[in-house]
Amino acid sequence: MSAQKIQLALSGVQKRFGNRLVLENAALELTGGECKLLCGENGAGKTTLLRIAAGLEKPDKGNINTGLGDVSWRRCRKTLQEKIVYLHQQPYLFDGSVMHNLKFALSGKKMNKKESAHRALQWAGLEELEHHAARTLSGGEKQRVALARAWLRNPAVMLLDEPTANMDAPARLRALELLQQLKQEGLALLIATHDPVQFRNLVDSCLTLKNGKIFKEKDVHYTDGSVVSIHQFIQ
Amino acid sequence: MSNLTSATTEAISLLFAGDKELWGIIGISFRVSTTAILLSVIPALATAFLLAYINFPGRRFLISLFSSLLSVPAVVVGLTLYLVLSRHGPLGEWRLLFTQTAMVFGQMALCFPILVAMSHAALQSTDKRAWETARTLGAGVIRTIFTVLREVRFGLFAALLAAYGRIIAEVGASMMLGGNILNHTRNIPTAIALETSKGEFAQGIALGMVLLMLAFTLNFMLQHFQGKEGLVE
Repeated sequence: MSAQKIQLALSGVQKRFGNRLVLENAALELTGGECKLLCGENGAGKTTLLRIAAGLEKPDKGNINTGLGDVSWRRCRKTLQEKIVYLHQQPYLFDGSVMHNLKFALSGKKMNKKESAHRALQWAGLEELEHHAARTLSGGEKQRVALARAWLRNPAVMLLDEPTANMDAPARLRALELLQQLKQEGLALLIATHDPVQFRNLVDSCLTLKNGKIFKEKDVHYTDGSVVSIHQFIQ
Repeated sequence: MSNLTSATTEAISLLFAGDKELWGIIGISFRVSTTAILLSVIPALATAFLLAYINFPGRRFLISLFSSLLSVPAVVVGLTLYLVLSRHGPLGEWRLLFTQTAMVFGQMALCFPILVAMSHAALQSTDKRAWETARTLGAGVIRTIFTVLREVRFGLFAALLAAYGRIIAEVGASMMLGGNILNHTRNIPTAIALETSKGEFAQGIALGMVLLMLAFTLNFMLQHFQGKEGLVE
């Protein structure tokens, strides 16, 4: 996978819920091996944008490029679902064991599913949880299972909605390590968050969604009110 | 008391002696009700899925309608279908009245709203993320539907049991549409009603025991199927 290749580009995306304009002419670009943060207050439209990019929510307007030129959302919806994996803020694990969840991502693929699932367990450090009921896991473990499951799909892009929300420090560190690995493997990552600080070692650039529009940030605003430049932030 | 004891003893001996008439009635009951459930379950699940997942005009009305139909008495369903299937009714030419097919229609009309309303409630309770997660993990629409159905399988199984329990024990529709003809359309509930009216309790008790056994078996099956997941810990 080329690190420079554009994996996903959105342009002119508009979405309205009733009278409320959530996205207005929103645009962004993601290349392989790149991690972008999508910041914004609660209700700014981050999740909506991610869901549109993942092919789960239809925009009112807008074009999408998945490497085959600008096409409408409807025309490239299938490609979006093949190429992109979206992880909910609280990942959903299907009823059954961790192994059942991992195998779900492999259906339709001609390979040794058990062996691949074991590789994913190893990748995420979850070997001891193979036969555990997925719904009995802690929040951090669920997130890791969801990441391993998404990794098995071998996507080009991963869209993550607040991936470390409600995690304690060790669980957050483990999740960030996995995200770092994904980035090194050449995946394009887009992380929606309202707290950018924890991703400072991971991100290449920071976008802000405000009043329906996406701005490329020059500064990063910490939750304590202090401000640093994006350059300082990433350094 | 002694009458009850002797009737119960006779009922048990009828069951174990393999009384042909009695087991014929049981066979008709199971055949008619199982056919009705099997014919209803797929369209009912499809309807419930549409009501739970697709937004269309009249959706709320249909949800209310199916909920209201839960409380319609079996005898009213029987009467309506009787008028439709009777010689001068719109489907009179089909000559279905007093046949097992008419009884199947009646029982389908009774179990369909139960299956739809209860399956819809189960599907409504599913997390929307189940659908989205399956889709984002590359599942097609059909596989996603089966994935979501698997997630609510206990609710669906409960709907199936409730519907089966309702139709196998109903009297009104079967009596009006089947006519309670021996070896032809006489099923467990209509036979119990007839035998009791004649003062012959033994056969009624024997058939009642079969219904009770069925209820217990189905419920134990549900509990077993749910396993530990059905318990609040």
